[in-house]
Amino acid sequence: MRSAAVASVLMLVAAGCGSKGEATNSAGKTGTLTVGASLSLTGSLAREGTLTKEGYEVCQDVVNSKGGVSVGGKKLTLQIQYQDDTSAPDTAGQLVDQFNDKGVRLILGPYGSATTASTAAVVERNGQVMVDSSGADDSIFTKGYKRTFAVLAPATEYAASMVQAIYDLANPRPRTLAFVSADDGFSKTATQGGVDKAKQLGFTVVDTEYVPNGTSDVSAALTKLKGKNPDVILGSAHLAEGVAIVKQSKELGVTPPGGFAETVAPPTPDFVQTLGPAANGVLGSTQWTVKTKGSDSWFGSAPDYAATFKAKFSGRDPEYHGAEATAACLVLVLGVQKAGSTDPDKVRDAIAGLDEQSFFGPLKFSPNGENLTKAMAVIQIQNGKPVTVWPKDSSEAAMTWPGTAS
Amino acid sequence: MARDGVMSQFLQATLYGLLQGGVFALVAVGFSLVWGVMNVVNLAHGAFVVAGAYVAFELHSWIGIDPFLAVPVVAAVLFAIGYLVQRYLVNLVINAPVFITLLLTFGLQLVIVNGMIMLFTANYRSIPTAYATTSLALPGDVRLPVGRLMAALLAVGLTLALGYLMRHTRVGLAILATGMDRGAARLMGIKAAHVYALTFGLAVAMAGVAGAAVGAIGTFSPADAGRFTVFSFVAAVLGGLGTMSGALYGGLLLGLAEAWGGQLLPGTLVNAVAFAVLVVVLAVRPQGLAGRSFYAARVEV
Repeated sequence: MRSAAVASVLMLVAAGCGSKGEATNSAGKTGTLTVGASLSLTGSLAREGTLTKEGYEVCQDVVNSKGGVSVGGKKLTLQIQYQDDTSAPDTAGQLVDQFNDKGVRLILGPYGSATTASTAAVVERNGQVMVDSSGADDSIFTKGYKRTFAVLAPATEYAASMVQAIYDLANPRPRTLAFVSADDGFSKTATQGGVDKAKQLGFTVVDTEYVPNGTSDVSAALTKLKGKNPDVILGSAHLAEGVAIVKQSKELGVTPPGGFAETVAPPTPDFVQTLGPAANGVLGSTQWTVKTKGSDSWFGSAPDYAATFKAKFSGRDPEYHGAEATAACLVLVLGVQKAGSTDPDKVRDAIAGLDEQSFFGPLKFSPNGENLTKAMAVIQIQNGKPVTVWPKDSSEAAMTWPGTAS
Repeated sequence: MARDGVMSQFLQATLYGLLQGGVFALVAVGFSLVWGVMNVVNLAHGAFVVAGAYVAFELHSWIGIDPFLAVPVVAAVLFAIGYLVQRYLVNLVINAPVFITLLLTFGLQLVIVNGMIMLFTANYRSIPTAYATTSLALPGDVRLPVGRLMAALLAVGLTLALGYLMRHTRVGLAILATGMDRGAARLMGIKAAHVYALTFGLAVAMAGVAGAAVGAIGTFSPADAGRFTVFSFVAAVLGGLGTMSGALYGGLLLGLAEAWGGQLLPGTLVNAVAFAVLVVVLAVRPQGLAGRSFYAARVEV
């Protein structure tokens, strides 16, 4: 009995370590297009990793229901293989290496900038091709990689788009802004972009405070901000920090007259669920909304995509994680079709030359792999739902200002 | 005016740090107890904290019980889980080298955390209450958050109660006796396997209660388990293993260190501050703030 217990422990540990598999893939011969995706299905990014997986699943379903990917007169069934990287960047890199050993050369990105950065290096070395669905940190694209393409607007746009929206729409326009930023690469880059934009538009940035990534206690930063009386607090943060900023501001009596704006937290359903009425009025930035312009032959327009997603996931509305994942998968499918081959070098060249419209907006890549033509949208939580308020020509509702009034 | 601002900022940080420290103490007290009595470093401790938060969350969403009123139920459920885990799992390897119990509890934490992800998804949750984010305004523009005050009072009360239980009841004395010298305790008619399971059950119940408090004042998800284990480790070692007051001092010191460190240093160094305090305390007082030497001189039979 005791030895059985010890053995089961060792099994668990061994399962976590993983080992290199043997090459068994036979893509092309059997009429399947095998694509690999290392995703954070457990660990700290499990929530977002699962949302990303849903987007890939929608893509696989739609592509296969429309007959599959045509390559050289053959129709290939899209088959996405998933591995769990436990939210650890090192593991994500190893898994992509394992995909390569098995002959899987086309890769869909993991969730988040840290894991994407580590897999991008592996993809480059192995000569694989990756379409990145969620790694927005600009630093990934400054290393001269030729084989990683991101469908999303870069990190510098996340806070900058909200600053621009406040400048365009807020009346009375606030004067002073303060930033609370998580300390991971993506959030810091987003903060830098926001601070630069704010200075360029004539706002005064009274303070920028950094907090540990993933913390649920931002009280120290808020206590420091309080005396500087910013008109708006901008959070460059993920969900845990984003919720903490709003919650703890209330506890600590930090009441910026213009309210709060936070990058990626507000568009996620959990933000409203955890904060309740306190979420109302908070601004957020998003890569995709149902108002995003453009359409393509696989998924149609943004509302068509929303309908497809809803039908698959029992009436749940899509949000941007799923949409950007589907868009990444779409880029890979378009690349393979255009190349007429599953050879990674040919697919890479085809993707580099893409210039397409889609339900996700324009898909066109700069030489370093960023989708610079892609704009972001700004949402505001109104009556417990995120609605698009900026850019104005594709908005669902007027921005409520100040956000604290609602 | 500027000086008032600095003063109020300092007082606010201190108050918040003390309240936070009270919660750390409640998180850590069970961890310290298990380590002190059984020499088991329970790496699954944080997972039990999160499990307690989920029990409170489910009670709230099913029948609308306030998380603080749900504390007895949470404690009972988690006690039962803890008792069974120790009796039928950890006891199997209790005599093995510490490395084996480390591996076992590490594995246990993986199983519990991923079990919770399957059951409850990895979504961030919070138990909504009307009062949790309200605060009382004190003189000098200092705020006293109501939810955190309740959590800290509960934490300190329970930690003191556990300390009383250990020193003044037969059960508590049996636990201490078994921790000091298992062989002698057995000769006195104490069933070590049962006492160990009771100890673990108590520890897990405290962890669960801490989870309910955390659920009411903050957010939680299965991924937070590791963070709670680290807090427990630091607070328990700071205070001294196995003593209930030690976990309390350790938790409060950790809370204060984080709050003051956050004011004086860039915010991202907060975690480094906690460990720096640990290093300093261990260098100056290796047994911890309230530690006694008899745990080190234990007899293992």
